[in-house]
Amino acid sequence: MTHTLHRTGDLQSIKEDFPMLTHVARGFNDQGASVRLKKIAQTMTKYTDLHFGDCKVGNKYLMDSAEIMDKLTVGCQVVFKDKESLIGCMKELKQIDQGISIVVSGIFEEVFECCDKAGLKPPLIEFALGVHGNTKRLWPPEILEFVTMCGHGLVSGRLVKKMVEDIKKNKITAEKAAIELAKPCLCGIFNPDRAAKLLKRMTGQL
Amino acid sequence: MKIDLEKCIGCKKCADYCPVGAISYIQDEKNPKKKKGAIDLEECVECGVCFRAGVCKPEAIFRQEIGWPRSVRLAFSDPMIEHKNTGVPGRGTEEMKTNEVTGRFKRGTYGMAVEVGRPGVAGRLEDLEKIAISLAKIGVEFEPKNPVTFLFEDVKTGKLKPEVGKEKVLSAIIEFVVKPEQIRPVLQALKDISPKIDSVFSLDLISFPEESEKAPALKVVKEMGFPVYPNGKVNLGLGKVLNK
Repeated sequence: MTHTLHRTGDLQSIKEDFPMLTHVARGFNDQGASVRLKKIAQTMTKYTDLHFGDCKVGNKYLMDSAEIMDKLTVGCQVVFKDKESLIGCMKELKQIDQGISIVVSGIFEEVFECCDKAGLKPPLIEFALGVHGNTKRLWPPEILEFVTMCGHGLVSGRLVKKMVEDIKKNKITAEKAAIELAKPCLCGIFNPDRAAKLLKRMTGQL
Repeated sequence: MKIDLEKCIGCKKCADYCPVGAISYIQDEKNPKKKKGAIDLEECVECGVCFRAGVCKPEAIFRQEIGWPRSVRLAFSDPMIEHKNTGVPGRGTEEMKTNEVTGRFKRGTYGMAVEVGRPGVAGRLEDLEKIAISLAKIGVEFEPKNPVTFLFEDVKTGKLKPEVGKEKVLSAIIEFVVKPEQIRPVLQALKDISPKIDSVFSLDLISFPEESEKAPALKVVKEMGFPVYPNGKVNLGLGKVLNK
């Protein structure tokens, strides 16, 4: 379950990409966790509306967010595009103190700075040490930037290429194409704001 | 996944959604001028993306009955499916996400994970077996709650149950804890096995923040030519024991 790790791309793009997840610890704080998870989800979605979901339930582009919140039993995810809203969310999560683990991914320096401003001291971190094996089979870097935004691998590189083609043919806007790419990511960590910017860059709109 | 040829109208909207490119279009036997969708079951990982995409208006895409060992594809590729042994949907465990509560990773040790098939390539479990065998040879103990561990015929050797090797999944993770002195041999084993892998694998290292700066782990990682991404995961430490 390392699904928010291994996001690739240029630093500026990753600086606007902070997936956040909450997850119960089975046997430790999972009893009656639904109410706590709902409160956490309500707090998270107050600060970001880019994406929201849980892989056991579905995401906001497939079903109503209120319905997702009512069905949470294990955890949920959102994604932020800026530090200000992330810090605000971290502060409120600390204040509501629901006792369920929260994890944020992003550039370490940036996340640590946010933690510091929110008065949090992270106890554990996880590093990504690259991709190995038959790397010739990987999608090219510009497609990987999208593909790695869904750690479960549910966003197809072919769909990214199709969206790029459709934008060039004026069949779809970059914003709508980004949402289409966000739909398969059940957890809600694919960042449509970042995706729209990448699509615009790929189609000469930026 | 399968496509009902009676219902498929050959609109070609579903193929691009498939993360592994398993959907193609074949000549319709009844009307040779038309083409219809077909899923290559050897390549399909049963992730369900094509079905959930909601682009098939005649609802021709359906999930067939899946038995063992094909069910492994479903369990490791469709995050909506919960593994029976871990209770966690997806491919892994809670790993570092809940460590401030579970204490699974202790100070002075490092968590490591090798994820076969990621990013965006998918892979056969025989690739995972090659890696597991090479790690087992140097005394790595695999995380008992990881769904992959359930697939081992012999957890001490890393050998998989023979029937699952050819199964293709979006990704599957080997998780283990190492002592500082094991990091170098583990990385060397991964370096040696890397050219023999048909798919790709992503590598993770879990550490305590203060130890990661002082301890030699990252130094060893860099010395051995492994990249360290500037971005990663940070546990905020907000979890508590709440169960009575």
